[in-house]
Amino acid sequence: MALDSIPMAPSAFGPLPDLNDSQMAPRRSLWRELRRDALIVGSAIVILLLLVVALAADKVAPYDPTAIDMKGQLINGKRVFPPYGPSPAHWFGTDQLGRDIFSRVIFGIRTSLFIGVVVRGGVMLVGVTLGVVAGYWPGLLREGILRFTEIMLSFPPLLIAMAITAVLQPSLSTVTIALILVGWPDVVRLVYGQVLITREMMYVEAARSLGASEWRILWRHILPNIIDLIVVAFSMGIPGAVMYEAGLSFFGFGIQPPTPSLGSIISDGRGYMTVAPWYTLFPGLALVVIVLAFNFLGEGLLRLSHRGQS
Amino acid sequence: MLSQYILRRLISFPFILIGLSSVIFVLLYVLPGDPARLMAGQGATAQVVASIRHELGLDLPLPVQYGNYLWRVAHGDFGRSFQSHRPVLEEVGTVYPKTLQLALAAEGLAVVAGVSLGLLATVAQQRWVNYGLLTLSVLSLSLPLFWLALILQILFSLRLHWLPPSGYQMGLDKYIVLPAITLALPTAGYLARITHAAMASMKESDFMRTAYAKGATRRRAVLRHLLPNALVPIISVAGTDLSRLLAGILIVETIFSWPGIGKYAYDALVQRDMPALQAAVLVFGGTVLLVNLIVDLLYTLANPTIRYGA
Repeated sequence: MALDSIPMAPSAFGPLPDLNDSQMAPRRSLWRELRRDALIVGSAIVILLLLVVALAADKVAPYDPTAIDMKGQLINGKRVFPPYGPSPAHWFGTDQLGRDIFSRVIFGIRTSLFIGVVVRGGVMLVGVTLGVVAGYWPGLLREGILRFTEIMLSFPPLLIAMAITAVLQPSLSTVTIALILVGWPDVVRLVYGQVLITREMMYVEAARSLGASEWRILWRHILPNIIDLIVVAFSMGIPGAVMYEAGLSFFGFGIQPPTPSLGSIISDGRGYMTVAPWYTLFPGLALVVIVLAFNFLGEGLLRLSHRGQS
Repeated sequence: MLSQYILRRLISFPFILIGLSSVIFVLLYVLPGDPARLMAGQGATAQVVASIRHELGLDLPLPVQYGNYLWRVAHGDFGRSFQSHRPVLEEVGTVYPKTLQLALAAEGLAVVAGVSLGLLATVAQQRWVNYGLLTLSVLSLSLPLFWLALILQILFSLRLHWLPPSGYQMGLDKYIVLPAITLALPTAGYLARITHAAMASMKESDFMRTAYAKGATRRRAVLRHLLPNALVPIISVAGTDLSRLLAGILIVETIFSWPGIGKYAYDALVQRDMPALQAAVLVFGGTVLLVNLIVDLLYTLANPTIRYGA
């Protein structure tokens, strides 16, 4: 989505790539390179933690995220009703129904990560397929794909995603479909450009002159050479998908209760911004942590792939 | 070379607009809810609804409706709003300038803040500045706009009472401050980084050494030689980013009750006001396409190597 246009600029203006060096670089040092990069290691640890929390949400969450507690608490002899502020019992406070916001956020993280990975996976599948087709087979098909992509890119994505979920009735699956439908054009443009460059490479010409079939060239020579790009684009696109899901849910066109979503928790908190700012603050911070971790990972991977090229 | 490229872009522009409106038509035709019933209001007899349906041409076959729709759009007739019964074009005409006002204020703010931050970082030449800028830039891109808007509202309106939480006033009033900052923040962080990256890569280049050799002060070398050369990547990024800024406008306008095209589109979607939504999306998409075209032209103007077809 919008986020995978993160700069390629630093390398584009860097020194000319040393061809000998990149050909000599042994592939097995990749793991060592990965481990050495503090940015990649740090963000990978955070993402791993988030994944564990998401998968074991039932075990990690201290309360049932839907458990309502309207009994009220006795504070200084007076009965006080929710929303309660943050306390040792409720780290992130509670909402107006006395539900534990920390537990709701944990289940919200689960929803966010699920949507992020599934949507981005779908987007990559559609985008890479169309991008490779457009980049590899010139003619009417290419023109059609490119024009359609350009049109789709000009739409306000959130508005179109909202319109789609409004048509299909908002739910987990329709949000996924809508976000895939608005997300793919960016990837097409990215992959198309890379395929165009790759198919002009010497080794592709060499393979062709040796009599390799077009399919073999595609599978054995072109795809392996754009796989770096695909992995980076996948990882960098996850935060975008997570943010769009939260946005849809925030405006009521996304995931519906009782399934917790960070966006809809923030939306619920909007009515209590004066008396219970924590209600808005904490779910948003969770969202920022998810997005930040994936953005930094993408950043690290991008740097690594540039380093591999130069 | 150049004029041919521009000519091709200009010629394809109306066709892309037609494509855009076709996709919108297909998408919105399936929006559930009966527009005729909506227009007739509650408690209208079936006869009244049927006559309105006939009046709107909604009882015609789909291809005929599509033909009529294209014909009307080509003549600037977008129909009347189901809600207000006023011509949609008239309504869009009154909200559109307010969106431009907000978008330009935000983009201006982002460019000034981003470029000067990038400049400062280049001049500072410290290693930690690099990391600080990277962190700041990634962080600013990781804040969900709707959450950022709410946090700014909580902080500056509900707590500090410095600024109104929402509303609209002509000109550069206090009402524009919070929405403009919300919209500008991600772009500013991103631009700061692009500026810094572009300048850092050119700092050691021959033209800089020549400038210094001819006795230019550091200040003059940076402002007169480095900045103009760094403009090419900055303009291209600021331009592509403007379409992201426009995408965020829906969120910001809705939350801050800014009566622009974004809020208009959102309200139209919520009320299933098809003519209003169609016009809003078309104007939105048209704007993004136009901005992209202008950015391409500016880009060629700022870069003599492209201008002279080298």
